[in-house]
Parts: sequence; structure tokens; C-alpha cells
Amino acid sequence: MRDETHKDQIERWAREVKTNTNWKKELKPFLDAQIINAMIKYKKILSLPNGKEKLKRIRNLN
Amino acid sequence: MKRGVSNKTILDKFTEDFCKIVDKHCKYIICSGFVAISHGRSRGTEDIDMIIEKLSLDKFKKLHDNLIKNNFECIQSNDSKKVYEDYLSKKDSVRYVRKNQLLPEMEIKFAKDEIDNYQLSSRIKIPFTDLDVYFPKIEEAIAFKEEYLKSEKDLEDAKHLRIIYEGKLDEEYIKQFKKRIKKIKL
Repeated sequence: MRDETHKDQIERWAREVKTNTNWKKELKPFLDAQIINAMIKYKKILSLPNGKEKLKRIRNLN
Repeated sequence: MKRGVSNKTILDKFTEDFCKIVDKHCKYIICSGFVAISHGRSRGTEDIDMIIEKLSLDKFKKLHDNLIKNNFECIQSNDSKKVYEDYLSKKDSVRYVRKNQLLPEMEIKFAKDEIDNYQLSSRIKIPFTDLDVYFPKIEEAIAFKEEYLKSEKDLEDAKHLRIIYEGKLDEEYIKQFKKRIKKIKL
């Protein structure tokens, strides 16, 4: 279970989004980095022995 | 309130491009995590969830072929009949990505009950998100997260949405929708 400071952070950021019309500019690098980082790591996993199978399991694909 | 249009994320662009094609073939909604993320929730996701109306094989084939023509591919298979018969018609989801890219994914499933169909019929575009895609009503998204999904992440998503729409939410609608979820989904 997360602690109170985490709950505070959720609320603080939601209020920032509500009042700051530029919230997306601040959030975009964070959201994009998550995708870009995962893509890089997935490519690394694919290059491992049985990489395709490992990636399938990691991503819980059929 | 006017919000910038030049800050679209990788997820935003992927979602809009995908939805533009799907919209030509059937009704859809984008649901689950991306509803909160498109409202500024500071968390990531690899997949975007989409519910589409139940289609015949013939109609689905047209949709699938159009997605392939527009540089998307289905992870499960590029054979529309197999995707339809082995997955969608068995109530399983399938995932599409841009060709030769691992992420992000669009996870699609057919509407499977009266709640899904109701959400499709009451779908809306949400100006706050700056996205040209259909979402369920915010009250429905909150009800789902609080009553059905219920993980810590989902409850935090619901809290975020509640703050964004503070004073504007129809609480009675949420209450009634939760009752419907309980009756039909649980």
C-alpha cells in the first residue's frame, strides 16, 4: 500500500493539470520517454537467446 | 479553455491515427487507463484499450484490411478471419501496433454486454483532452474504475478524474451506473 505522500502527490498533480493550461507540455517528455525507453529495452530483449518468447511472456501476450 | 495542440504525445498520435480509421467502420470507445492519461494523469501505459461494436466477419475484414493498408499490423495474425474467429468472436482481445514497431499497442475487443453497448451509444469527445477520439462519459469511466477494476492504479485514476471534474460530476449517474456494473459484470 502506498503512503500518504503518494496520495498527496496524486492530488497535487491533478490540481496542477486542472489549473495549468500548459500541463501537456510538462507531461509529454515523461510519457514519451516511457514508450521510447520500453522500445529500446524490448529490442534488447529480442536480441537475447529465445528473445521473442521472453518478450511474449513479459508482455503477457497470447 | 483553449489548450495547445502541438504537445501531442506518442500515445496521442497513435490513438488518433488508429481511431480515424476505425471510425470509418464502426462505433468505438477508448477506455480504461488512457482516459485518465489523456486527462494528465502522470503515469505511463503500453496499451490503449478500445471497445468496438460487434461486427460481422465481413465488416471486420474491411476494418482490418484498412488498418493494414494504413501501416498497422495485428500482433496475433494478419489474417482477418483468424483474428475474428480465434479471438474476437471468443471474446478475447487482439492487439494492433504500427508496422514493425513494438509499442504502443491498441487492444481491441468487441462489446460483449449491454453495458459495453450502452457506453458505445453514449460515447463523447472530450475537449479537455484535445484529442479527436471518442471516450465513455467521465461518470462511466469513474464508475468502472471504482466499482469494477478497483486496482490501486485504477482508484488513483478515478481520484485524478474526480479532481479534474470537481463540482461537475453527476454523482447520481455514477451511483446508478455502478449498480448496473454490479448487476451485469460482477
